Amino acid sequence: MSPQSNAAIQNGEEPAILLDSINKSFGSVVAIENLSFHVNKGEIVSFLGRTGAGKSTALNLIMGNFGPTKGRVRVMGMDPNKDFKKLRQTISVGFQTDRLLPWRTTVENVELGLLILREPKAQAREKALEWLDRVNLTAAANLYPHELSGGMRQRASLARALAIDPEILLLDECFSQLDHVTSQTLRADVSEVIRKYNKTCLFITHRIDDAIEMADRILVLGAPARLLLEESPTEEDRTDRDKFRILHDKIAAALGVDA
Amino acid sequence: MKDYSMSTQETSVTPTGKSGPVLLRVFNQDRFAGLVVVALIILALQIASQFAPHYIAPPPVLIAEKLWTQLTSLWDEILITLLRLAIALAFAMLIGTILGIVMGMLPRIRPYVRSLVVIDTGIPALSWMLIAVFWFREPEIRIFFIMSVILVPFYALNVFDGIRSLPKEWLEMCESFRPNRWQVLRYLILPHIIAYVFSTTRSVIGYATRMVIFAELIASAVGIGAQMGLAQANFDIASVFAWTLFLVVLNIFSQFLVALLEKRVLRYRPEVEVR
Ligand SMILES: Nc1ncnc2c1ncn2[C@@H]1O[C@H](COP(=O)(O)OP(=O)(O)OP(=O)(O)O)[C@@H](O)[C@H]1O
Ligand SMILES: [Mg+2]
Repeated sequence: MSPQSNAAIQNGEEPAILLDSINKSFGSVVAIENLSFHVNKGEIVSFLGRTGAGKSTALNLIMGNFGPTKGRVRVMGMDPNKDFKKLRQTISVGFQTDRLLPWRTTVENVELGLLILREPKAQAREKALEWLDRVNLTAAANLYPHELSGGMRQRASLARALAIDPEILLLDECFSQLDHVTSQTLRADVSEVIRKYNKTCLFITHRIDDAIEMADRILVLGAPARLLLEESPTEEDRTDRDKFRILHDKIAAALGVDA
Repeated sequence: MKDYSMSTQETSVTPTGKSGPVLLRVFNQDRFAGLVVVALIILALQIASQFAPHYIAPPPVLIAEKLWTQLTSLWDEILITLLRLAIALAFAMLIGTILGIVMGMLPRIRPYVRSLVVIDTGIPALSWMLIAVFWFREPEIRIFFIMSVILVPFYALNVFDGIRSLPKEWLEMCESFRPNRWQVLRYLILPHIIAYVFSTTRSVIGYATRMVIFAELIASAVGIGAQMGLAQANFDIASVFAWTLFLVVLNIFSQFLVALLEKRVLRYRPEVEVR
């Protein structure tokens, strides 16, 4: 029996994301096995798990791209698969690969979500440029994706996700293309935005350090996806070298156990 | 805010250099070879005309003279042919693209449209020409009909292929913003298939030119095809050669024009150079 998430649902308020006893199989491949967890509003939760554990699949369930084989998924109290359209502007995704459209310039890519949400053109452009400035890509606004480096593309893709001002941000390894320093700065900035505007964030990573640094809560998944360990790093865990080490090793052990 | 451009590889924002010198050289080499071949053909015609009667091998000078008369006094016939070609091509492009999109986006209707298109591709052009003569009296309609039924499937099938090759990741990305069908069409599918419409046009335009001439020969009294029929009836082989020459040049020129337009519209693509 895998442990169930033990974090309390915040004072009776409905969680932003709720997965309840989820199973998901693709044909004979079991991607998720009895996974339950929730993410409270305003919380940053990190998913850690080996490759193929079913992290992206869980994200797809939350996005509503498909329904679970068994169990219940709720986003802001709605079924993301059945009430797909109702969750407009609620969820935004930073994907594992940048997924920029090659025929749109950087700024045109960033404003895509805004245009789909029927924002007036001028206003969409203005917001997109603001976000490009925040991720330090102003100089590249009018370049096409093939003219950008991998890191620049990743930042543009992140700006596109943030530009629509979503309540829930799902991030799938979207700092992985960046070198360590850039990744750290950008992560700090994204956390700042999330905290400042009280957004909810679920982010996938395979770097334990990233998870400890950024998350309020860490969910360690085994393969097929089920909860192996749940940790809530404190400020001390982040700043105190020894505590950081201990937590890091605990998580690493949990990940390794499943090898 | 903060500076992210710490890594060295991210600081260069200059676009990659356009017009590679290697490409330019290859192009010039091609042009040179083309000129050599043209010169050899003219020479061969000249030599042949010394030995064979002129109704079999007209001398190049006579062909040039005929071409000159055609260009100066028969330009209205040329214009009609070009107009017919342009209208039919534009129509086929529109209808074919719509059918391709229907096949790509409406899975329920797909098999029906697809069967129709596949059956159409199997019908020989000649059958359509004869059928057109039976069905329609008005020559313009005959030609338009023939051209359309021949060209539409090319666009339909290529556009459908284009939609099928659309990366799933892009669609997922787009759908993460929860668009409606029209928005998917507008922001994702249409820009993606433009490349396919262009490549179809490039590969089909030579064929379309030949077909319009053929259709004019069978179904009309005006246009280049009709003029060629007339020349043949008058045993005027020099005129046939001159028209042929004109059509060859037209073909090269139209391919060039489409390629130029394609390069402009699809300028977002990186230039690939294979060594
Ligand atoms: N659409 C699909 N059809 C069939 N199988 C799938 C599909 N999506 C995922 N899978 C399978 O589900 C399992 C989990 O895949 P998933 O992409 O969720 O892993 P992940 O944890 O995101 O891995 P990574 O860290 O490498 O991105 C894999 O075995 C994969 O083959
Ligand atoms: Mg993944």
